[in-house]
Amino acid sequence: MTALDWTVLFAWLATLVGYGLYRGRGSTTVNQFLLAGKTMPWYAMGLSIMATQASAITFISTTALGYTDGMRFVQFYFGLPVAMVILCVTVVPIFHRAKVYTAYEYLERRFDPKTRGLITGIFLISRGLQSGIALSAPAICLSIILGWPFEVTVGLMGGLVILYTTMGGIKAVTWADVPQMFVILSALVLSLIVAVHLLPPDVSFFDAVRIAGAAGKINIVTTRFDWNDRYNLWSGLIGGSFLFLAYFGTDQSQVQRYLTGKSIGQSRLSLLLNAVAKVPMQAFILFIGAMVFVFFVFERPPLVFNPAESPRVEQSHQFGAIAASSDQAFDQRRAAAREIKDAHDSTARSAAITKFNEAQKQFDAAHTAATQVGKETDTNYIFLSFVTHYLPRGAVGLALAVIFTAAMSASSGEINSLATVSIIDVYRRHFRPDLLNPDGTPTPGNDRHYLIASRVATAFWGLYAIAFASYARSFGALIETVNLVGSLFYGTMLGVFVLAFFVKRVRGTAAFMGVIAGQCVIFTVAGFTHIAYLWYNAIGCLVVIAVAVAVSFTRGRLDDDGLRPDNDGQSSAGG
Amino acid sequence: MTPDEKPILDEPPPALGTWARVYTAVLAYLAAVIVIFYLLTRRLGP
Repeated sequence: MTALDWTVLFAWLATLVGYGLYRGRGSTTVNQFLLAGKTMPWYAMGLSIMATQASAITFISTTALGYTDGMRFVQFYFGLPVAMVILCVTVVPIFHRAKVYTAYEYLERRFDPKTRGLITGIFLISRGLQSGIALSAPAICLSIILGWPFEVTVGLMGGLVILYTTMGGIKAVTWADVPQMFVILSALVLSLIVAVHLLPPDVSFFDAVRIAGAAGKINIVTTRFDWNDRYNLWSGLIGGSFLFLAYFGTDQSQVQRYLTGKSIGQSRLSLLLNAVAKVPMQAFILFIGAMVFVFFVFERPPLVFNPAESPRVEQSHQFGAIAASSDQAFDQRRAAAREIKDAHDSTARSAAITKFNEAQKQFDAAHTAATQVGKETDTNYIFLSFVTHYLPRGAVGLALAVIFTAAMSASSGEINSLATVSIIDVYRRHFRPDLLNPDGTPTPGNDRHYLIASRVATAFWGLYAIAFASYARSFGALIETVNLVGSLFYGTMLGVFVLAFFVKRVRGTAAFMGVIAGQCVIFTVAGFTHIAYLWYNAIGCLVVIAVAVAVSFTRGRLDDDGLRPDNDGQSSAGG
Repeated sequence: MTPDEKPILDEPPPALGTWARVYTAVLAYLAAVIVIFYLLTRRLGP
């Protein structure tokens, strides 16, 4: 890191926070603070949704996936455009017309307080866990790369997030994401240009693509169906559709973004922007990982990418043997790559690929042996190592600033949504409903009370995220597991919303029992089978619907007699 | 009028005339992207 890089890093942080505060000024009512007064244009909402998903750990680990596993991860996103179209047809107009602050508010209008309370609890638990991890995972990497104490990195990121989110609310969060998204794309394009530019003179861009393909990195589409294969065309299209339906249709951190739209059409366009841009963008990020792989076919990579682990590996008694094996494999792999590039017929290409794969196996074995000497996994440092060693001066600072602010972007969205649910679905509903008029709206004075409570809740969740990030650090490899655990809840959340929108017969108790059953089945599937996690969303959703419908039939007369009327969004209950 | 009281607008899309056509275009685009990716996988794979 040069002085120029440090300048760029801090200048970008200051610019982003300043821009967020400037855009978020004037949030003087709860509606403005939580829903931006419903004034946001489609491009701001769309870019903000994309920026939130392009979290720092995605930025770091997606490129690493391209490097290690190829581009097949892009299939995970094939269900996203399908989900977006379904949401535009169904959820977006329903939520807009219901004039709700949160998705869960709608559940009480449609079902009952206990169903709303259950789903609110599930959201607060799962999203609360993820808010800490959104800060923790990138902070671990950045603190090692920058040489800062972990607490300083988390404190800086979390403190800045609290500052602009507490002051400016959703407007600050959304508008800060707009320039952020452009800078993320700029940094990615620059990384690709550098990776290709630094290839040997006799290796062109097309040669690099051929080598990446021969190495199995351009494995974008797998058509073979396999329940246990995480990423194939079918798990992506079917399982991914359910996942993204749940994520964008029921997770308040996403729903809140498009509820800020000035019209239904603007909200639809923001989702369709994601539908069109997300798959190519993820493919592009994975392609960068594949090109970084090819770059390191010709440029000798470090034995381990994690700089904190290098000294430990170098001081170990196995170091000499591991390094010798790695060097030999590297030379053989490089020679085989040149043979692939120069092959003029399929026989020569196949022979060169065989040589390449044998060398790759030996190289991987040496790398695995080296990482086993260390204590932490190495994957998340591949792209960071490339960025810090090969990008030009200034660009290194920009790339690290992007990772910093990507973490802040994801975290600010989560904190904002957690605060919204805490105030609307918990505080205003259960603790201070007395400040609402009979029509469900507060007086200006009482609105100010809820506004202050919203700011306090935002600060609380920000501090919670910082505190939990420090705790989550000790999870180590469990961080990935906790991320996976987050996906355990989406299927049931989606199921209950499908019931709410489309199955008029089902009432509150049946929906509640469906959610409980769905959650039990998902925990069982996760604990006792090897079914890939993308399927959890579909299974959970279907179980919720099936059980709720079955219960509604068995309770038919009781519900039809109306212990609670089927008011379908017309009730003033729900606060 | 407070923001809560603003009427909810549902205007036509900026292009293609109807939302149904826009959705069809998005799904056709997805199909095209998957086909292109599939052909790239077949063409460049080992």
